[in-house]
Parts: sequence; structure tokens; C-alpha cells
Amino acid sequence: MRKLMSVLIVVLILGCSAAPVLAKDLSIIEEVLKKVDEQSYFPDTDVTALMSMIIEDPEEGLEKIVVRYFRRDDGERFLLLIEEPQTQKGQGYLLEGDNLWFYDPSSRKFMHTSLKESFQGTDARNADFSQLTYSSSYKVVDYDEGKLGNFPVYIVDLEAVDDRVPYPYAKLWITKEGNLVLRTQEFSLNKRLMRSGLFPSYARVGNGVLPTQMIFIDELVEGKKTQITLTEISTAKLPDNVFTRAFLERASR
Amino acid sequence: MLSVVLKISARNVWRQKKRSFLLAGAIAFSMFVITIVNGLTGGVVDNIRVNFSHALGGHVFISGSEYRDQGIVYLIADEQALLDSLAHYETSIESITRRSQAMPSLIFGSRQAMQLVYGVDFSEEDKLLSSLVVTQGSLERVTDEQTIILPRTVAERLGVEAGETVLMRLDTITGQRNVGEVIVAALIEDQERYGISAAYVNRSYLNSLLGLRPEEYQALNLFLTNMDDADEVGRGFREALGVPQPATLADIKEMDEEEAVRELFGMARVEEIEPWEGIKYQVTTINQIMEPVEAAVNVLRTIGLAIFIILLVITAVGITNTFRMILIERTKEIGTMRAFGMQQGMVRNIFLMEALLLSGGGALVGLVLYGVVSLVLGQISWDTMPAMQFFLDQGRITFDATAREVVLNTCLILAMSLLAANFPAKAAAKLSPVKAMSSNL
Repeated sequence: MRKLMSVLIVVLILGCSAAPVLAKDLSIIEEVLKKVDEQSYFPDTDVTALMSMIIEDPEEGLEKIVVRYFRRDDGERFLLLIEEPQTQKGQGYLLEGDNLWFYDPSSRKFMHTSLKESFQGTDARNADFSQLTYSSSYKVVDYDEGKLGNFPVYIVDLEAVDDRVPYPYAKLWITKEGNLVLRTQEFSLNKRLMRSGLFPSYARVGNGVLPTQMIFIDELVEGKKTQITLTEISTAKLPDNVFTRAFLERASR
Repeated sequence: MLSVVLKISARNVWRQKKRSFLLAGAIAFSMFVITIVNGLTGGVVDNIRVNFSHALGGHVFISGSEYRDQGIVYLIADEQALLDSLAHYETSIESITRRSQAMPSLIFGSRQAMQLVYGVDFSEEDKLLSSLVVTQGSLERVTDEQTIILPRTVAERLGVEAGETVLMRLDTITGQRNVGEVIVAALIEDQERYGISAAYVNRSYLNSLLGLRPEEYQALNLFLTNMDDADEVGRGFREALGVPQPATLADIKEMDEEEAVRELFGMARVEEIEPWEGIKYQVTTINQIMEPVEAAVNVLRTIGLAIFIILLVITAVGITNTFRMILIERTKEIGTMRAFGMQQGMVRNIFLMEALLLSGGGALVGLVLYGVVSLVLGQISWDTMPAMQFFLDQGRITFDATAREVVLNTCLILAMSLLAANFPAKAAAKLSPVKAMSSNL
């Protein structure tokens, strides 16, 4: 009888300690993710900005790339036009819905590329300049609550729902207030940390937000990271022809 | 009559030993030079072809790709058409190797390098292992799951040594990021300048990183019992698998550079890719891969032939001068023979036969010299020169001058000698017996 009671007590204790985990309502985080995605989407306004990228490579040293950034989410379009360095000046990326084109003025040819690819060998991916799709590309596996600096955050573990995203696993630090992603960690298929992202500052664009500073750290190559700063942000209406191949060709001259 | 001509010519050649020796020596040297160039280039081409086939894992290479929503996926399946072709050429196939491949970024500390990596089943790749020239480490533990054989140049770029661990960053076949960790088992000499710079890892491990099952593969390579059948077998597989026959170097002479590269290597511009159903195969043979190498070797052959012809012209001038001197020396003798009834034709033939004996003897000596030199050089092991290993057969130089080349060169020498001796021979034949006999020379 005493034995039975002991077993019952142990089961009860284990059950109680597991209860918070079992009771975690992932739907709250799913809603948060939706909000994160929604506020990275600007359907009613165009965005223009100047992006400065500082690439720290332990082998190559410091490199700076300056890019003119045009974005129109209605129709999923963006145009990235490289202004510096001189050797890459005129190269550009044009997103037209599902198609991302890379243009090289030296060969005068457009080549198909992908949002999964890294941008000009930096630690940023082409997808980092588009709207976020966490809620549709990933499912929430687990979450925790904590603090990042002074900000109360949700720490969310994600798993990709299919193989359309480059990183099958991700971890996000999302502020409880404002649903801003402050930090990311992205993992390989065998769950090794590959890239970390830090987003310390944001700017309000229409009803949404746009990170004005992004730091991507290559977690495999010691000392390699890319810092991106957005300045001269404008929401002025852009002519329709900006998001065309003809414009990219013309602007590259 | 021929025997008389031969006897007199041989006696004449023997009469002036020193002069004959010098003339025949010059011809022997020319013959030796051209044959050694032919033999060396022939041997080098053969060795590169064999070493290439070992490094690439076969003589005929079959790869396949599928068009999926995520993009192009490189993969082969045991489709009926492929199995039927394998059965059809069963007697021509010595062995089959199956490989996966990737172009990962290899990372060591803060350094990284892009490198072609083949996933191989080392138990079926004994030819590969025997062809690798190890400069550091050993191949003893290559069958361990997470080991890599790394080209020396790549290791130097990364600053890694045998026994250390490098990371492999790559994409799965569907484009997701993945990372592997491998221990460098051995560093090998590679031939980056000839387009072969490959690292080798265990196929099942590479497959796990690529998102393939351990037994799956991306390329099926065939070692043939006779390498010369590569084109025929390749053609057969292309027909069976619906692959268009490739263009050759000759076909692309008129094309611009980009178009030529596309035609030669079957690459389509990304913007031109149209979706397709099922597996699209690609069949390449060792001869296609060797075409640029052979083109380079042919330049060497042409240079050798040019040197040979220059040497022949110099020798021919020597022969002409020598025979003119002979003509002057033997004017009285010719007059006497003519007075005894020797015909003009016979006098001419004696001169020409002398030229033939000299050039034929010289060519023979040149060939013997080639045989001796190639035999001696072939015995020397050049293991201390890793950069040369790709041109050698197990560290040794091989010579392969074909019978066609030897016959052609000999004919050239004989024809040139006859041509050179023709003018003095004609002049000798036209000598008047009376004038010749009364000559003071």
C-alpha cells in the first residue's frame, strides 16, 4: 500500500511539473508571428532607402557596399542597385513576384537567382530585404519568456514546414511589446547554429516597421559578420517603371 | 642489277666512314628527337587519360537531374532505360562506381574555400585510391564515416593539416543549409590547372548532408574493359536515355565563347531553363573531358614536327653538299665506269642508293637510341616530384610512339634524303665519260 502511495505521489509530482509545458499555448506565439510578418509588409506604400553594408571578413578585411534599395510589397517587388564599390557598381537585383534576377552590367545579362542565396557574398541573404514569412514558413515548436537587455521577449523555437526556406530551424527573440524581432538564430538541417542576426533599431514605415540596423554573424567562420544600416528612408511613391528590367539596365549605365 | 647498285653504294658509304658517320648521325639525331617527342606526348596523353578516369571514377559518366518546385535536383534513379543500357553493355563494362557530389564551402577557423567534393564508396573505388598521390597523412582510415581526402593546395589555403577537423557548409539537394564536420585523413596532389581539383568523402556521409538516403547517388560512372570504346558506349547510352549527342571542338569553332562552352559542356543559361518531367540524363565520356588536354598536347606535337622538319632541312642541305663533293671526288671513277658501259640510270641509282643507305641507317640508329633512352628513363621513379604525378604511370615516365608516327617519320627522312641527293645524282649521271676521264680531279 505504501509502495502504491509512493508511486502515486511521484506521478503526481511529475505531472504537476510537466503541466506548464503541456499547458503552453502555442497559438499565442503563432499570433505574434503573424503580427511580426504583417508589420514587415507595406502594401500601401513604396519604400526607398540607402543601405550601407560593412562586411568584416578575417581574411579579406573590411569591405563596404552601398546599395540603393527600392521596395514595393504590393506585387512583391524590390530592386537593389549597387552604388559602391566601383568594381560592382551597376550590379543589381530585381524581385518580380517569385522571380529574382541578378543583373551584371559587364555582361549585360540577367541571371535567375534565389531569395535563399547570400547577397554578394555577405552574411545577408536576398530574402532579408523582403517581407518576413515566419508564420507561413515555420511552425512554432516551443517558446519561452525572458528578457533581452531591458526588453521582455518571447524566445521562440521554430521548425520549417517545408524545404522552401534555407534554414530548417530558427530561434527568435520577439519583444512582447511591439512584436519586434530583436535577435535571430538560424540552424542547419542537423541543428547546428549557422547564423545569428541582431536587429537593434527599427523605423516606422506606414503601419509597419523596418529594421534600420541589422547585424548578421556567420557562426561557422570565426570573426565574419555583416552590418547593414538603412538611411535616407523615404515612403514617397515610386514610378511603376522602377521595378522593371529596363530600369535596372538603364540605371546601371 | 639492284644487288650491284646496292653493293657499290654500300662500298662507297663504307669508304668514307667519318663523313658517312656524321651524315647518318645527323639523321639519327633528327629521328631520335621527333620519336622521343611523339613517344613522350603519346605516353603523357595515355597517363593523363588513365589518371583522369581514376580521379573522376570512370570512362563514361552518367548524371541526372529532376526539375522540382524548389529548383533543379541532381539525382539518378534506377530507371528501366538505364538498367537496360547497363545490361546491353555488360560485356564492355569492367566496373561501376556511384558518386554524389557537392560544392561546399570548407571552413577552418576564419578561413574558407569553395571546393568540389565527391562522395565515393571507397570499397568500390580501389582505382581512385591507387591513383592518389598522398603528400601528408594516409589513406588507411578513409573508410571511416567522417573523413575527407583534401587537395594539398586547398589545405594550404585553409591552413589545415592531416588529422585536423574542417567544417563543410553546403546546401541540401532542395536548397536548405547544412553543415558537416570531417577529419582530414590525407592531403593529396591535385591538378587544379587541368580542371581536376576534387576532395573525397564517404558517400553515405555526404548523402546525409545533402538530404539523400545512404544508398542514393547522383552520378553513375562506368569503367570500361577497353577505354577506346568510351565514345561508342557513350553514344549508346545517350541514344537509350534520350540525351542529344554533344558538339565537338571542331563543331564549335564558329561559335562565340559562351555558346561554345554551353555546347561543349551541356550547360544552359539559367534564364533559358524550361521545366521538364522525370529525370533528365547527361552522358559524358573521358574523351570529351580530354579534348582540351589533347588539343594542348597536339600543340606540343606540332612544335616537335616543326623542329623535326627544320632539322631535316638542315640535314638535307648537308646531304646535297656532301654528294656534290662526292661527285667532284669521283668524277674520274664515274668516267671509268661509264667507259666500261655503265648506263646513266645506274650511276644516278648508285648515288640515290647511297643517300637511302645513309638515311635508313641513320633512322634506324635514331630509333634504337629512342628505345634505349625510353627504357632507361622509364626505369626511373619520379616519386619525389608530386606535381608531375598526373603525367606519369605510377611515378614513371612512359613512352608511346605509334607505329604510324614512326613509319611516317621514316618515310619523311627517306624522301628528304632522296630529294637532297637527287640533284648531285643527276649531275653525276650526265657526266660525259671522255670529259670525266680526262678530268684532273
